[in-house]
Amino acid sequence: MSIDQREREFMERIHRGEKIEATDWMPDEYRMLLLKLIHMHAVSEIMGAYPEKEWVPKAPSLRRKLGIMAKVQDEVGHGQLLLRVAEDLAAPLGKTREDLVSDVIHGKVKFHNVFHMETKSWADAGVIGWLVDGAAIINQVALLDTSYGPYARVLKRICAEESFHMQHGENIILALAMGTEEQREMLQDALNRWWESLIFFFGPQHVTKAAQRMLDYKIRTKTNEELRQQFLNKYVPRIRSIGLTIPDPKLRYDEKEKKWIYSEPDWEKFSRIVRDNQGPKSQERIALRRFAHVEQRWVREAMMRSRDKLAVV
Amino acid sequence: MERSEGQGLFDVYEVFVQKSQGEFHTHVGSVVASSPDHALYMARENFLRREPGVNIWVVPREHVHATPYEETDFFAREMDRKYREVSGYSENGRLWRMFREKALSIEEIAKALEVQELQKRKSRKEK
Ligand SMILES: [Fe+2]
Ligand SMILES: [Fe+2]
Repeated sequence: MSIDQREREFMERIHRGEKIEATDWMPDEYRMLLLKLIHMHAVSEIMGAYPEKEWVPKAPSLRRKLGIMAKVQDEVGHGQLLLRVAEDLAAPLGKTREDLVSDVIHGKVKFHNVFHMETKSWADAGVIGWLVDGAAIINQVALLDTSYGPYARVLKRICAEESFHMQHGENIILALAMGTEEQREMLQDALNRWWESLIFFFGPQHVTKAAQRMLDYKIRTKTNEELRQQFLNKYVPRIRSIGLTIPDPKLRYDEKEKKWIYSEPDWEKFSRIVRDNQGPKSQERIALRRFAHVEQRWVREAMMRSRDKLAVV
Repeated sequence: MERSEGQGLFDVYEVFVQKSQGEFHTHVGSVVASSPDHALYMARENFLRREPGVNIWVVPREHVHATPYEETDFFAREMDRKYREVSGYSENGRLWRMFREKALSIEEIAKALEVQELQKRKSRKEK
């Protein structure tokens, strides 16, 4: 069968709404787009554990400590599940799990802008749980009907756990919102710090060429802007309901256009942070990741040696 | 050095979890591990952080034999299979009515047995 015909048949499968599996034939472009997306997703889950992990030792009560610890553990677990999916996609390209894991240490894979930022107070930990996870949940729920079967299945499990993250984050925020004047100020400060990052999180407003191809292949079915609008729909009223002010004087819902009007984030600034790992915490967190990966290599190697020895006997 | 780990690496194990002894083991995903023991721990950490489970199987991926997705003929339903299904016998309801009776279902029998059991327990308590 010629490549052209294979590609045509592949697209017919996509249009019929069939799921593609790891062992199926797929166009290189489909594989590359998926791999890039899932690799970045996996690495973002793992790097996303770092800003919150900083608050595990400093959590204000034992219950909060257990809660945030469970959440951090989930995020690393999500990274593990997604790495498995990425690994199978990468194998035919001669890339291994080690490559996928160490790419972040060598600055060869990007992770979400929000995880490059500082978590200054306990309220930041709350805002991450509430709004960063909230934004990520909108992204992930929209991906549930992706055309790639292994990704769809893993996302189902991830989303089930995210619903705990959602409640966990909201609970921290609600406690602060009902607290003292100082706690409410701390919360407002955190929101001020995170808002622009959150708007940037969904990516550029225009549909890039790669994004269009992902839509064609039904890897994604929604555009960045559609997801950002969903986020604003769901969260603006809730943020306002607890007496917080969103730090964007331009923000309003346009009844005629049926969409939110907002100030654009500093696209250039955040792109640089993500591209060059030049955010306030990028290098520190990558160094921690490098330390964890490199310093524990001997353990992994020892386990391999013990397996090989057993195999010989 | 950087590469050495990239070559051999851990093996892939498919993971099956049994939620309770009344259920079958169900495939939930896969992990990488250096040994079956290691895979069992990884499986528990990855898939049972919240959900209950009573048993886990891990199976080296290459030991799983599967039908290829492209071979849809394998699953072809070449003819009407109504004769194998409950829905193929829906006329029973109408036929029973001719004898002044109703169609019976498994669910009704199960329900009746359950009620009987409850009554038995109740009368035992009263004694
Ligand atoms: Fe996550
Ligand atoms: Fe999360």
